[in-house]
Amino acid sequence: MSSASPLKVTVIAADALYKRDLLRNPDPFVVLTVDGGQTKSTSVIKKTLNPYWSETFVVQAKPSSVLALQVFDHKKFKKKDQGFLGVINLTVKDVINMEQGGENMITKDLKKSSNDSQPVSGRLLVSLQTSGKDRRESEARTSRSTRSSRTETIDAEDGNPPGAASSNTNTNTSAPPSSEPAPDVNANTNPTPSADDGSVTSPFEDQYGRLPSGWERRTDNLGRTYYVDHSTRSTTWTRPANDAGERAARTRTDQTDNERRQHQMRSLPENQNSQTNLVNTGATTAGLGELPSGWEQRVTPEGRPYYVDHNTRTTTWVDPRRQQYIRLYGPNTQGSTIQQQPVSQLGPLPSGWEMRLTNTARVYFVDHNTKTTTWDDPRLPSSLDQNVPQYKRDFRRKLIYFRSQPALRILPGQCHIKVRRDHIFEDSYQEIMRQTPQDLKQRLMIKFDGEEGLDYGGVSREYFFLLSHEMFNPFYGLFEYSAHDNYTLQINPHSGINPEHLNYFKFIGRVVGLAVFHRRFLDAFFIGAFYKMILAKKVVFEDMEGVDAEFHRNLEWMLDNDITDVLDLTFSVEDDNFGQKQELDLKPDGRNIAVTNENKLEYVELVTQWKIETRVSEQFKAFRSGFNELIPEDLVNVFDERELELLIGGISEIDVDDWKKHTDYRGYSENDEVIQWFWKCIRSWDSEQKSRLLQFTTGTSRIPVNGFKDLQGSDGPRRFTIEKAGDSRHLPKSHTCFNRVDLPQYKDYDTLVKKLSIAVEETVGFGQE
Amino acid sequence: MAKRLRKELADLRKDPPSSCSAGPVGDDLFQWQATILGPADSPYANGLFFLKFQFPPDYPHKPPRVTFETKIYHPNINSSGNICVDVLKDNWSPVLTVPKLLLSISSLLTDPNFDDPLVVEISNQARQDPQKYEATAREWTRKYAM
Repeated sequence: MSSASPLKVTVIAADALYKRDLLRNPDPFVVLTVDGGQTKSTSVIKKTLNPYWSETFVVQAKPSSVLALQVFDHKKFKKKDQGFLGVINLTVKDVINMEQGGENMITKDLKKSSNDSQPVSGRLLVSLQTSGKDRRESEARTSRSTRSSRTETIDAEDGNPPGAASSNTNTNTSAPPSSEPAPDVNANTNPTPSADDGSVTSPFEDQYGRLPSGWERRTDNLGRTYYVDHSTRSTTWTRPANDAGERAARTRTDQTDNERRQHQMRSLPENQNSQTNLVNTGATTAGLGELPSGWEQRVTPEGRPYYVDHNTRTTTWVDPRRQQYIRLYGPNTQGSTIQQQPVSQLGPLPSGWEMRLTNTARVYFVDHNTKTTTWDDPRLPSSLDQNVPQYKRDFRRKLIYFRSQPALRILPGQCHIKVRRDHIFEDSYQEIMRQTPQDLKQRLMIKFDGEEGLDYGGVSREYFFLLSHEMFNPFYGLFEYSAHDNYTLQINPHSGINPEHLNYFKFIGRVVGLAVFHRRFLDAFFIGAFYKMILAKKVVFEDMEGVDAEFHRNLEWMLDNDITDVLDLTFSVEDDNFGQKQELDLKPDGRNIAVTNENKLEYVELVTQWKIETRVSEQFKAFRSGFNELIPEDLVNVFDERELELLIGGISEIDVDDWKKHTDYRGYSENDEVIQWFWKCIRSWDSEQKSRLLQFTTGTSRIPVNGFKDLQGSDGPRRFTIEKAGDSRHLPKSHTCFNRVDLPQYKDYDTLVKKLSIAVEETVGFGQE
Repeated sequence: MAKRLRKELADLRKDPPSSCSAGPVGDDLFQWQATILGPADSPYANGLFFLKFQFPPDYPHKPPRVTFETKIYHPNINSSGNICVDVLKDNWSPVLTVPKLLLSISSLLTDPNFDDPLVVEISNQARQDPQKYEATAREWTRKYAM
């Protein structure tokens, strides 16, 4: 047994360390221990996943000595074992013959520690050398070679081609906050291994290298490869070329602009500029045109704008351009002057009246004087609501009620949020989480770093637009696209790969609440069940269709068929967490309880609940706690899930010409009378009614950025389809996974309008069949 | 789900189907390898074709992902080994089992579906010049599957 002699250990570099924080890179350093005794540590390298130390230590070691090299994040290295980023163990004699002397440089994959299950990744590069050799020369060689190899690594891992990234920033599109590789996300968005080629594992690269930033490679059910551009949410068969980055970036900019235009056009019935508009939003929006003559806008020292009418020498908070007037169309007011009545001043209910909610959260009014109830608000002229479908009247009433609640009033003072456009997620997280919910209820003043412009609405609109593109981007592994249409969002059940994910869900909940509170819209649409969960409604089997149509179909099959000796299921599920499969019980000891014809309904319920709710319950709880800090649960409950989608996402302007152009007919032709009536009816509808019809037929009111030609079904692109089906006495039916409506051959236009309106109105929930 | 796969495996061992075989790779019950013997009345006769089965965690509510590991010249099977057959897509049903799938795939070798091709060139060739298509298919079988 030889005695200890000096050994030079050079910790050169590490590469592709595990990114434990979503937005921040670690400050790595290495602790070297010899046989659990002598300890040395390197300096700390700031904010990198590919640190380069090149520090040499001399230790006393025997050939049988074991060197442990542990990598830690200095920011978290406060308590024992915190900030651990991986370890390698080396037995000296396996690396170098101490008697013969010399030098050997090795690269080893970092491993988890024995008592810690936190995931790690990356490699550590170390060189061992026994003294006596010409160390100067070899050291120089080592450091040169490692430096160049390190640079290559970074280039390969960098997801952003410079062209795309820079033009993105210039044109205010959302670029990822930084260009680090995101190993967690790679694993996250595509848990099933790609079958094309064993050497390609990440959906963000292929045999030609990394895809341009924001692109992902996917495989359809035929094994054909297609590409998803997350920035524009579009797909293509053609691989995006890195060298065509600039052109792609330009197209993407155009598309983002389209998306932004669409986003800015969104509205709710409360602030539509029409005669049916009943509520003054109280918010001031830039770009409403000039003030009436004699008026002036001023700002209080707190920054709240107010208006001076020099004609009457009065001031008011209400923007005279936003003043809405109610026209009375009763028989007595025929042709008379417009009766001016700013709606914000609807005032209290008449004496003896009370506003109540039904158990389905419809607002109704009780007149205690006459002991009668009515749907109609006694403060509003009832004739206004003629020819407006009931659901529409309800939604507007609910909005009025919702907005009028004290908990949703803007508090005095200002809430300043200052962010950098290109770090919007990171900065917003810091800004929004450091403030209290009360702070966030003050007038919102968003500022983009380095940009002029006071927030009179336009800036915050842009802010929520950009932020929603970032925080819901599947790149971050917090949300993923559902299997329904590839574009509605759901919580990623494996987001826990990022240990701080719950804080981010709480943050996202706050952002959604903040947008609703301040009457802004997010450019994000979720699976129907997600809205139901916000409303604390029970998720049922039908909701599965919006999550995963194929799964839904096969569960339905088992309900409809005799499953004896066919399925061999137990009350358990298989969870695949990054390749680690785990059997989970759906009820106590479920893996030993067989599913039979008698109990299969319970199985379907439990498996639905697991798939939609249980798997993401922690994440959802965090989300909802953030959301409810701004929007109390009992207030948002006045809406149903479809109305909540509209509340969060707003109602889009819908281009009927484009819709019609990209519609297919089955059993009908475009010239058929019924089809002509159908389009005539749609054209006569306003945006909300059109959005409702879209919800009814496609499951979401979202329109693809590039119009109806890109409409997706559960199995890929699916154009809007009208099929001749059903009895003309019945209502139209819809098949949301195929974007199809079954339209009976109605006898006349009025019947069609009536049936279609009722179908859209009466539909409960998203899934139709 | 594991129970179902274990049962399929037990059934396969008890009653092995003719001209094909299947079983897990290593100790992962969700990754199988299977073989099909090219049907005698087809240009794939006497070839031994290897296939890979990947079972999703949702199996049998979702079909397995099946790919050819042996190169094959067929209008419904592409160069990556992906197979275009209805039972692995829209017509999947939880009643289907590994032997039934192998049987479907085997009959696809006998009767290619020229109307819904995955590789359009091969299906065009099979229509315009059936002799040449069959010769190429036989050639590939000899080269890669024997």
